[in-house]
Order: sequence, then structure tokens, then C-alpha cells
Amino acid sequence: MRVASTGWLSSVAAYQENFFTRGPSPLARVTFFALVAVAVMIADHRFQALSVVRVGVSTLLRPIENALMLPGNVVRDIGAYLIVQDKLLAENKALNEQVLMLSAEGQRARLILSEQTQIAVLNEANERFSRDGVVAEIIRDARNPFARRIIINRGLSSGIKAGAAVIDGVGVVGQVTALGMSSAEVTLTTEKDQSVPVMIVRSAPVTAALPKSAASNAATLATEMTAPGSEIVAAESAPTSRARSGLRAVAVGGGRDGTIELPFIPVAADIEVGDELVTSGIDGTYPAGLAVARVTMVDKNPALPFARIVAQPSTAPDHHRFVKVLTNTGASYPQPDVKTDDLAGSAKGTQTKREAKREAKRALRDR
Amino acid sequence: MDLSPASRDVLRPPAPLRLVFVSLFAALVVSLLPWAGWMLQARPDFVLLLLLYWVVHEPRSIGQTWAFALGMVMDVADSALLGQHAFVYVVAVFLTQLLRIRILHLTVVEQALHMLGILFVAQLLYVGLNLSLGREFAGLTLALAPVVGAVLWMPLHFVATLPRFRRRSDAVMM
Repeated sequence: MRVASTGWLSSVAAYQENFFTRGPSPLARVTFFALVAVAVMIADHRFQALSVVRVGVSTLLRPIENALMLPGNVVRDIGAYLIVQDKLLAENKALNEQVLMLSAEGQRARLILSEQTQIAVLNEANERFSRDGVVAEIIRDARNPFARRIIINRGLSSGIKAGAAVIDGVGVVGQVTALGMSSAEVTLTTEKDQSVPVMIVRSAPVTAALPKSAASNAATLATEMTAPGSEIVAAESAPTSRARSGLRAVAVGGGRDGTIELPFIPVAADIEVGDELVTSGIDGTYPAGLAVARVTMVDKNPALPFARIVAQPSTAPDHHRFVKVLTNTGASYPQPDVKTDDLAGSAKGTQTKREAKREAKRALRDR
Repeated sequence: MDLSPASRDVLRPPAPLRLVFVSLFAALVVSLLPWAGWMLQARPDFVLLLLLYWVVHEPRSIGQTWAFALGMVMDVADSALLGQHAFVYVVAVFLTQLLRIRILHLTVVEQALHMLGILFVAQLLYVGLNLSLGREFAGLTLALAPVVGAVLWMPLHFVATLPRFRRRSDAVMM
């Protein structure tokens, strides 16, 4: 009894003098296992080398999770069954109107599409992105308070690859970062350091036609210390809204409360609140032209080299249940040889980029 | 006869291994519920708690190896970087092994306070690992998890005094 009460060191001694203790001491064991754990962390973080473990364990866990979700799903389905008729009728009416509107749009789209295919054939251009994809249901949020991820119910067995882009009806949701046999983890665009190459598109009406390079001129001017403010202010205050600002940037997830930031944008860059950010497609992961976010705050403090730009993501994956995983993004542009391993977010997309590069080469050869 | 606490411990009959694994599995199942929001942040680590419980009561069946294996499973389940939970569990189990004999001689509340310390260290390690990876701090609700875990230790302790274990726990309390 006294041995135990004299402090923790003596209890270590008691443990180690234990008659029947075999094998290495606890200290040796903890050192060994901690080192192995650190090695595993490095292997997973730096080299993505342990996806086999992930696939195996997640495949084992899936049935349990499905069983656990069952009661909740049943309640939800019954609730959906018992929806009031008024609501259904109203919804039906709205949908009918929408169908009429969309059918007109659809005809227009068909026309444009046929024209576009003709032009594409003429130009022997590749299609920007194929419409191939797998529709998946969102099962749940990842149980990790440090990550903005969702789990979907399709995986390797549906032909999904790591790095694939995930979209919904509005725009980009994120990117597949881990796979199971019948499930996949999608890292949202709002995850800290998750980056998406974007292009800034202005939805405001065209009021004045300016030379094409006005915006980029303003941007380059701003980076020069000697440039006086007068020209920049003029460029900004004039009604310069063209349909497209065309500025390219990289949108980076803010890590909390669903914000996306645009770092390293010069103070004088042509960007305003309300501008849309759409994917530029230059990374070969995300096809061009998908909505990513809308700019909600532009803080142009002249004392700082860069403007602080915050945007709100276009999609809200917690509000609906289905997303589409693009299985074949194809090559949108020939890929320059850029090392992107430094970006933690894009590191997992390197596989896809390599494939995209290969496909681009093949396309060139076929031509 | 050697009457040191360690030797008394040696004389105890082991708990059925089935019970150990079924309870660990149950803890895993509870962790697999679709936790979200502040509930997720305040969620105690059920698997770690059960692990520590068996490290205290069945040190010869459950140790570092199980801590590491279950940690890897939890890493996959919680979409964490592989090895994070494994590291935290291994360290927490080591701390528990150090304090084990002392814990066995304390009252339930005192035991829970010890667990609070160990669980808090584990949570600090986990948060620290995530922050070192450049993640955003998720909020102070994370500090609730060890407290909830320590509170849960008390009902867990009564498992040891259930009728089928009474003879054994009497032997412990001697």
C-alpha cells in the first residue's frame, strides 16, 4: 500500500518489478510505438503511401456505419412521405414553370452546343471537360473537428480516383482526397489550404468597352512601388465593368465558417464585391468554368502589398444530398512543368495532373 | 508471501477476453455515430476511455499494441491523418500504465480525476498534432471532451463491481 502512495515513480518501479511481466518495459514499448506512429504520419502526409490501410479499414467500418445510419434514414424517409399536400402542389407548380423556362433554355443550349461542336471540330479542339461522372450521395460530414470534409457513398468500385473534382448543381464542392471501396472522402474547397485555381468573372452589365489589358495593366502597375495612385484610382473608379475581369488567381480555403480567400492579389487588382470566381481549369483537376465562390469582402488597404479578399463558396454541400464526381476531367490545357508538391492541398492531385499531362501529350500526338 | 499491490494484482483471475473485445467494439460503434458540430467537438474518445479502463484492469491483455491498432482504426474512422490517434493512444496508455497501481487504490472520484489528467494530455497532443499540420483551431469546446470522458469513467468503474466481478473487485480493494 505504501509503495503505491509514495508517488508515481515508485509505481513505475512496482510495475517493472512485477513478477510476471514479460517482454520489453512500458517505456521501451511506448518509444517503439510512438516512433512507428510518427513514421506512419509522415508516410501518410508526405507520400500518401498508406491508402491500402485506409481502403481496408474503411471497407470494414462501412457496414457498421450503414447500420447506425439506418434509424435516422428511416425517420427521414417517413418524414418525407408525410409531407403536406399543399407543399407538394406548390412545388409541382414551381417545377412546371421551371420546366417551361428550362425547355426554352434547353433548346437554346442545344443550338449553342451544336454550333460549338461544329466549331470544335473545325478547330480540332479538345472538349473542355467531359460530362462523365458518377452521382454520389453525401453520407455524412467527416467526424473530425479540424477538417472540412464530407463522405460520399461511392468509391473505388465506382471508378472514382483520388484527386477527382466533385461538383453539385451550382459549382465546385471539392476534391476526392481519400478512397474506400464504396466510400470516398471529399475535401471541401473551404478546407484550410485547399486551393482551387480560379478566374474572376464579373456579372455586372458591360457599360464601357476598354482595351483588353486594362485590368492586368492596373495589376502590374500596382506591384511597382513607383506607380502613383492616380492612374490606379482612375482605373478603379471608372465604370470599367467588362463582362469578365479575367484576372487569374488561386482561391484558398479559409478553414472555418465556410470562407474562401484570395491571397496575393495586388491592392489595385480589378476585383469588386460581387465578382464571381469560376475555375480557370489550368490545373487539369477542375474543369474550367465551374462556379467556386462569390466575393463578399474586398479590403484594399494601400499600406499592405496585397488586398484582403474574402469570398463565400457558391455551394453549400450541407444543404443537399447529392454530388457528382467527375471521373474523367481530361486535359484542358497543356500542362507546364510546375512542381506543386509544396501545396498541401494539391499534393493529392498530382496523380491526376500527371495523367492529364499524359493525355495532353496523347492528344497532341493524335493530331 | 509478497503482499505488494503488484503481486495482489497478479493473483486476480483475468476478465474474459470476450468481454474486453466486445466492450471495445461497442465503444468503436458509439464513436461511429454521425457526430457533428459542437457534439463532435465535445465527444469524448470512447475507444480511448475503454482502452484505458482495460489497461487499468487487465494490463496483461490490453497494452500498447492494442492502443496502436485501435488508434489506426480511429484515424480511418475520423478521417484523420493516419497515425495521429495511434500516437495519442500509445502515449495515453503509457501514462495509464505508470499510474495504474495508484489508480487501483483510489476512490472512483479520485480515479476519474486521474483520468481527466490523462485524457486532457491526450486531447492536448491531438490538438497539437493537428495545429502543427497547419489546421485551424476548432474551438474551446474541444476541452469539454476530456471532462465528459472523466465523468464517464465513473459509470465505467461500476462495471467492475457488477455481481459477476464482485469477488475480483473485493480482492483488489482488500
